[in-house]
Amino acid sequence: MELRYYIIRRLLILIPTLFGLILLTFILLRAVPTPDLISSFISQKATPKEKAIETAQAISFLGLNQPLPVQFFYYLNDIIHGNLGVMYTSFYTGPVMGGIERFLPYTLELSIATVILSIIIAIPLGTYIGARPNSPSDAIGRIFSLGIYAMPVFWLALLSQIIFGHDIGIFGSYGLPISGEGYPTTTKVPWIVNNVSEPTHMLLVDALLHGNLAIAYSAFIHMILPVGVLTLSILAGLLRFIRAGMVDTANQEFIKTARAKGVPEKLVLRKHVRKNALLPSVTVIGLLMAGLLGGVVVIEDVFDLRGMGRLTLATITGLNIQFYGVAGTVLFFGIILMLTNLIVDVVYAFLDPRIRY
Amino acid sequence: MQSTISIFKRSGVQKKRRPKVDDFVSTMRLVLKNKVSLTGLIITSVYFILALMDYVYPQYLGAGPGIVTSLTRFNGGYLGQGFPVGPTLNKGWWFYLGTTYANIPLFPAILSALYIDLGYSLLIVLSGAIIGIFIGTISAYYGGFWDELMMRITDIFYSIPFLIMAIAFTTILAYSLAKAHAPINGFSLIALALIIIWWPTYARLTRSITLSIKSSRFIEAAVASGSSKMRNVITHIIPNVLSPVFVQISLDLGSIVLIFATVEYLGLGNVIRVTQYTPELGELISVGQTYLPVGIWWPVFIPGLFLLIFTVGVNILGDGLRDVLDPKMRR
Amino acid sequence: MITQEENRSNLRDTKPYVVVKNLVTQFFTSKGIVKALDKVSFEIYPGEIYGLVGESGCGKSVTSTSIMDLIPDPPGRIISGEIYIDSFNILSDLKSLARINIKSETDVRIKRNKRANKRHNEIMSRIRGDKISMIFQEPFLALNPTMRIGEQIMESILLHNILSISEGIIRRNNISQVDLDKFIKNLNGEKDTLKRKKIINNFVSEYGIPEFEESISSLIENSTDDSYIKTEIINMIQENKKDIDLKFINEVKEYYTLQDQLFSLTLQEIQAERTGETALMNQKREEVKALRKYILNKFFILRMKLRFAEKHYMTPFRKEARRRAIELLSLVNIAGPEIVVDSYPHELSGGMQQRAMIAMALASNPKMLIADEPTTALDVTTQAQILEIIKDLNQLIGMGVLFITHDLAVIAEMCDRVGVMYAGNLVEETTTTEIFNDPKHPYTVGLMNSVPRADKKREREIKLDTIPGTVPNLITPPSGCRFHPRCKFAMDICSLKKPKLVEISPQHKVACFLYSDESEVD
Repeated sequence: MELRYYIIRRLLILIPTLFGLILLTFILLRAVPTPDLISSFISQKATPKEKAIETAQAISFLGLNQPLPVQFFYYLNDIIHGNLGVMYTSFYTGPVMGGIERFLPYTLELSIATVILSIIIAIPLGTYIGARPNSPSDAIGRIFSLGIYAMPVFWLALLSQIIFGHDIGIFGSYGLPISGEGYPTTTKVPWIVNNVSEPTHMLLVDALLHGNLAIAYSAFIHMILPVGVLTLSILAGLLRFIRAGMVDTANQEFIKTARAKGVPEKLVLRKHVRKNALLPSVTVIGLLMAGLLGGVVVIEDVFDLRGMGRLTLATITGLNIQFYGVAGTVLFFGIILMLTNLIVDVVYAFLDPRIRY
Repeated sequence: MQSTISIFKRSGVQKKRRPKVDDFVSTMRLVLKNKVSLTGLIITSVYFILALMDYVYPQYLGAGPGIVTSLTRFNGGYLGQGFPVGPTLNKGWWFYLGTTYANIPLFPAILSALYIDLGYSLLIVLSGAIIGIFIGTISAYYGGFWDELMMRITDIFYSIPFLIMAIAFTTILAYSLAKAHAPINGFSLIALALIIIWWPTYARLTRSITLSIKSSRFIEAAVASGSSKMRNVITHIIPNVLSPVFVQISLDLGSIVLIFATVEYLGLGNVIRVTQYTPELGELISVGQTYLPVGIWWPVFIPGLFLLIFTVGVNILGDGLRDVLDPKMRR
Repeated sequence: MITQEENRSNLRDTKPYVVVKNLVTQFFTSKGIVKALDKVSFEIYPGEIYGLVGESGCGKSVTSTSIMDLIPDPPGRIISGEIYIDSFNILSDLKSLARINIKSETDVRIKRNKRANKRHNEIMSRIRGDKISMIFQEPFLALNPTMRIGEQIMESILLHNILSISEGIIRRNNISQVDLDKFIKNLNGEKDTLKRKKIINNFVSEYGIPEFEESISSLIENSTDDSYIKTEIINMIQENKKDIDLKFINEVKEYYTLQDQLFSLTLQEIQAERTGETALMNQKREEVKALRKYILNKFFILRMKLRFAEKHYMTPFRKEARRRAIELLSLVNIAGPEIVVDSYPHELSGGMQQRAMIAMALASNPKMLIADEPTTALDVTTQAQILEIIKDLNQLIGMGVLFITHDLAVIAEMCDRVGVMYAGNLVEETTTTEIFNDPKHPYTVGLMNSVPRADKKREREIKLDTIPGTVPNLITPPSGCRFHPRCKFAMDICSLKKPKLVEISPQHKVACFLYSDESEVD
């Protein structure tokens, strides 16, 4: 099919950007003074002589004594082999890649739930508002969007805790959990303990697949507030976009044609305006994903959840900054976003007959 | 505007265009006509006036510019320990909004925080815009390799979530600047990092406008009449780019304030600045958060409210400006 | 072929199909009220091509859009006037639609009546596309980019023809021995091959089985056994019958019949409302309510089926509609209609797109087509083809056309009668021959002189005239005759009073004080 060539072409375009991204992380790493870069590899209690030996070992181990282009070549080689370096923090110690593997599922769970929820809310709401520009409901929608847009995510999260939080909120002990406390840990989940199948690594989905409703419920109520806040934070942009799309499409010439054919108003909206207005909204998802991945960092910090966001923050909040961790997470988030945009473009090309691939 | 035209007519002189003054006056008139954007303008102005007042009269308002080294001024030997006091009206104006950690009164602390937040945000947006305009115009005007390079670089910047990039750049800058013995405080560091990652927006915007102007008639005419490329950029393109960029700045100011506060909330300012307490809205919230489990909400709620109102104000002002200056532009 | 003159005199005896009377349309903008149309009146007879001509911004398009009641609101509204389409005044409920409170030129408050507007839209959606269709200037913008051409034509067909389609399907499935006997008898009585072919053609189209046309004719040619032919035909139809649920078809038919009843009741309600018979109006209103409720209850499941799985349940109808869509496409000279029916608008050329638009407009055989500058956006050769198609349709099926253009050459080629518009007024109206040979209104004269004409002698010596000045700003139009500031013959009265459109000779109306003293009374 032609679509296959389009995907291949888009992948080829991705290569220079990916190369640039790797180069950027390499520059970031090498901009750090060598003593700081290797500080994690040197034990604090060592004597100066031992320190000198450890430094020399670390430098040769990391290849820092090579010329820069050679270093970059090594770095590139490492990344191709999935080696992003190691990090030593109280939150997680080990290879950066291993940390990503371990903490990504939770973040993915949050992000997917957020994307699904926000689409479920935004499409009906946005089309409803967009079909009635300048009406009271439009005004309410606009004020809501602006209000949410203007709120810092962390404050919104804290506010939701003040209102709904367990013990500290208005609902007292009936409130929702505000931290990872009580979240089923690895030692309590039977299929993790017994090392049986763990198809998605996402607790909620796995629990449902295993039919363990107690764990599923616990995972679910721990997700309500974070997902709710994340959804709100991206909803404003999505609503604005869909509304604008509806208003723009309603003013198009072919809508006049539809009316001239005698299509009743309701059908004009349903069959002609909505589809054409929603198509470009697919492209926003890429943009939203960028905001979402940033928001996840904040949300995981506020709600004390163990995901990629916390891993990212852990790299810079310890005693020694874990530069390989910083570079690794930047690279990882960049690749995730690039792939999202690629998928979005392909889906859009698939949906919109006007795009020639 | 009406009067200038009539003067020209009366004196028989052909009407000359005075775009800058006339445009500015008519723009402002239109903005002021709309109640919503007027509200935005008022909110924004009040915030900037408060921030400046704090700078000019630190003894009356807030803690003065920059870093507060002594907390005792606000303690006034009042409490010093225990839980924060709720908003109260009978202990003097600086207790109107209650106190936060170490019983620092919130009101003056917020006022001095405004100075930091607004000042640095403005610095970030303006610097980003200047760099962006410069790079965007040049790359679009000269095209070819440089344009392609610029697009690829901005692609890379766009492919990393903003907050992640802010975290990475701040951290790395902190260490590499320390090597260079550059005297820099935590805020300036964050500002620098944000400038580095903020300019691509403006570069792209400027580039697209420049490209459309470049193909338009009057540039062709200017080239045909033999004026140099550089002269064209300065006399024709920059003025046309300014008004959309101005709109973008007013819209971005809101976002940047939020990002600045978020970065501070996450504790990035502490990467090199360890102990000094500095009033900054995000940090105030972060400090006040300690008391949330015992049901003390105002140290979190009130600084956030100040942030919210400012962002709303700037945004509706920006929307109003956009409607007036550039009705076609939609983000 | 009938000449234009004869054609016209024939028309005069019939009733006009479209009547526009004192139409006033305005646009409420932030800069003031644009008085786009100021009491425009004209009539279009069935089967004639009526041209509207004038400079851009003179209100031609506003007139056509007003006839379709498609003025974008906000900012525009039809303020007053009457528009009769097939003797039905579509503006009869104009008063109840909205209350307009004009505080100042720039501050106009419009209070819309939701219920009345809903009712009005329901009525209009039955008239548009059914009694009157429209094609637009830029076909590329006027076609839905994400819908296949066939789908768009089928939509139009299914909107207005569902009853006739369901009847066709039912008739085909209930085909009786008697009908077949009649068909065979007719066929046997005819020896001429062409006529035999026609009989077969009629038969298949009457029973909606055109896909069997070839097999039936080959069957008849190869066999002389009448009973064998009959059983074969029945077998063919039986084969086709399998996937058709007659009960469902009947249900759909009943549903749409009731909808039609509801519509006629609504019209009666409006009629009563206008004449002020309150008791009758209330009675009709109750009846409408009751019937609507009855329909909603009785056809709940059907409505759900149509709402959520229309494509699945409507398959027999869609098959039929698709066949008609292909027919329509070949009617407008599209080569390979079977391919075009499944293409998207962007895959076609401008000329093809405009043809598809025309096919769409023809979907339910409207008596009237409004063509709003249909060839302006096309290149010259395509222009000629499109014009020819419109002209052919006019002559073949007697479809009336309101043709809007600024191109006098097109007017000369196409139209029977012409109305000249200037700044929201109809200033002159007469036959095409007369407008070119004997223009009366100074504006028309100017318009004619501004066009280079091959038949004029000494052309090189005569400089082309242009009309001085430009079309006036319609927010503050000139007082009296709107043309007077640009008119060579302007008199004192011209700026004081507005001239009335008066018939100065048979079939020639002019609104100018040079020819008549009559002015319009406010």
